[in-house]
Amino acid sequence: MESKHGDNWGWMLAVDFFFAGMGGAAVATAGILDFAGLGLTSAAAGFAGAVCIGIGALLLILELGKPLRAWRVFTNPKAVLTFGAWNMTLAAGLGFAFGTFALPFAPWAGVIALKKIVAGLGVITGLIVAAYPGVLLARHKARPFWHGPGIIALFLTSSLVTGLSLHLLCHALLPAANPVLMGPLSIAAVILLALQLVFWLGYILVKRSAGTEYEAAAAERLVSGDLAAGFLAYLAGGTLLPLLLIGQASPVLTALGALLTVGGGALMRLLTIKAGEYRTWLPGEQSFRARLARGDEAFMTAWAQ
Amino acid sequence: MAHYAMVIDTRKCIGCQSCTVACRIQNDLATELIYNPVVTVGPKGIFPNVFMRHVPLLCMHCANTPCVDACPTKASQQREDGIVWVEQEKCVGCKACIMSCPYGARASHDGVVWKCTFCKDRVDEGEKPHCVNTCHQKARFFGDMEDPESEVFQLVNSNNADCLLNELNTQPSVYYI
Repeated sequence: MESKHGDNWGWMLAVDFFFAGMGGAAVATAGILDFAGLGLTSAAAGFAGAVCIGIGALLLILELGKPLRAWRVFTNPKAVLTFGAWNMTLAAGLGFAFGTFALPFAPWAGVIALKKIVAGLGVITGLIVAAYPGVLLARHKARPFWHGPGIIALFLTSSLVTGLSLHLLCHALLPAANPVLMGPLSIAAVILLALQLVFWLGYILVKRSAGTEYEAAAAERLVSGDLAAGFLAYLAGGTLLPLLLIGQASPVLTALGALLTVGGGALMRLLTIKAGEYRTWLPGEQSFRARLARGDEAFMTAWAQ
Repeated sequence: MAHYAMVIDTRKCIGCQSCTVACRIQNDLATELIYNPVVTVGPKGIFPNVFMRHVPLLCMHCANTPCVDACPTKASQQREDGIVWVEQEKCVGCKACIMSCPYGARASHDGVVWKCTFCKDRVDEGEKPHCVNTCHQKARFFGDMEDPESEVFQLVNSNNADCLLNELNTQPSVYYI
């Protein structure tokens, strides 16, 4: 029986979701831009997605109770986590491989057919990585805030917009390969930010009004509870403000908007994981858990011995 | 093949926690682990129409197992007789099963996940779980749900046996009367 409220996923998993989603979307975006004939936003952008996925994977491993056994997460093909782990590995590898095509000294840099194959596979695996945290959470039947397909749309939108923002940041901060790209990328980011705002408002509205009492209570934490300040900061600073900044004529403002979007994406994951930590209570369970003594386990163990 | 199930008669349970203690001692559980708490619903209502019931909770050994499906390492497993257990040597402590269990029946300790196993080693020897044996109110029944001769079969198929969170379609093997 769950004996302490600490038995929840921690911040490292939330940050893993953030980096993996952003990285997966960045890899997918790089592939889509290549197919569209627009090229890389910068030489570094091709690698950025792979690096982000790698950071996410590292955090996922550190979150495990037994990090040295991490290889075992690849062994159950029926589990969503395993599916996600394989796709993260493939997307990171493909993102890295795709980035090497921008290196002039790479012998395969001119092999267009190979580049298209890598880009195509990168798009598929990258989009899966962008969406999979949402799929993972949506399957939790007894976690009122997560359950249902709506959360997939929230995670996919956030991953895509943070992935685009990563490209915009690379474009702004590093030597650009194709300056024409800023316009289309900014427009896409603005559309996704607007969608993100609408999806979140709709999600909260549905959870509060059309769901169970537990769903309403979970959503209430974001509206007026302990997570309200963070949620307001996410909506205002991580969505609305970037919506106004990205697409401005000034590259500095666009880069600032992209930076805020990325920060907002991380905050969104932390809030979502936190909002889902309460299960649907069983009859009488809530008062039982409230009465459990906590924090004395080490003393009690020593005393019993 | 047998399918083991437990029936708990909440009309008989007096909330003494003997099963909780027996489980913890016999299974030598760590201090922070409780496989088998007894929670209390109520008292509710206004005298003389008051109501109170004790509900022992444990792993429901669901037929449709969200925990086994969620486990990326195959550490969470279900035997053919329906018993769900964790092979700790394979567990990486990702907590995917803890998060997916609707009944809060799992906990992490020492980096891996722990849960009620229906005392599977005792069951394999023809014995009943410790919680069943220790219940002096005879509120717990354990046996093969597929055997029409068993007491459990008859109780499960009685009109007043019900499961917790039926709406989630997990098909628990623990029934309450």
